[in-house]
Amino acid sequence: MSKECPKGRHGKKSNHDMINLMDNVDQNDDLRYNRRAFIKSAVGASMALGLSTVPFSVRAMIGIAEPDHDRVEIIDLARLPEGEAFTFNYPTENDPALLVHTVKGELVAYNSACTHLMCPVFYQKEKDILLCPCHKGYFDVSNGQPVAGPPQRELPLIEIEVENGKVYAVGRQYRHG
Amino acid sequence: MGKKVCWGVIIFTIAINVVMLQWTIEAYLGREYEQTLLYSGVGIVMAFVAFLAYGHLRKIEYSSEKKS
Ligand code: FES
Repeated sequence: MSKECPKGRHGKKSNHDMINLMDNVDQNDDLRYNRRAFIKSAVGASMALGLSTVPFSVRAMIGIAEPDHDRVEIIDLARLPEGEAFTFNYPTENDPALLVHTVKGELVAYNSACTHLMCPVFYQKEKDILLCPCHKGYFDVSNGQPVAGPPQRELPLIEIEVENGKVYAVGRQYRHG
Repeated sequence: MGKKVCWGVIIFTIAINVVMLQWTIEAYLGREYEQTLLYSGVGIVMAFVAFLAYGHLRKIEYSSEKKS
């Protein structure tokens, strides 16, 4: 796009003030940056924003269609005394999880990837708390909520059931509490 | 519906859609899929509304141009 304005064809050659008044008039800019162009971009922006949510809803529909999590046996309760924790994978092999038998006798399970930067969290039975050693993130063992350090979100909760002395994982809640 | 209203509607849809995009992503990351669908639905409807408002605005502008 040339800066040359077709109507200013004498401008460059002349020093006359009344002709050089044209210098600040750029027809191209006038055509390009006006009210209609602005509203066009605004509508474009609005539509782009609205339609950019589509991929998420498509993925969400796929997520809804997926079957619920399986019921998976974790461990014999007898092998997990109070104050101990056991690592397993749920719902897939790539989701490490931690089953904790707290010193108070509760059974809880969470995905053990820290919600800060995915380091594995551990159970500290002295303080009855979940600790992420990477940046000293602490999670409340009774509900998985972050209590100190950089993590902002809770650990995904794994629903468990105890039947005939065996602990089963039956589901997962991403946001809870 | 006048020109001013169309402008208002378009600016309003931008504001809504910014929020909807943010909420959709947040719901998606939290695996709240129903919410994701809801927010994304609102976003799509708003995109449509913006388009209709724009079409309407054009119609007003170009027809009033002919008269003058
Ligand atoms: S990764 Fe857990 S606190 Fe940073």
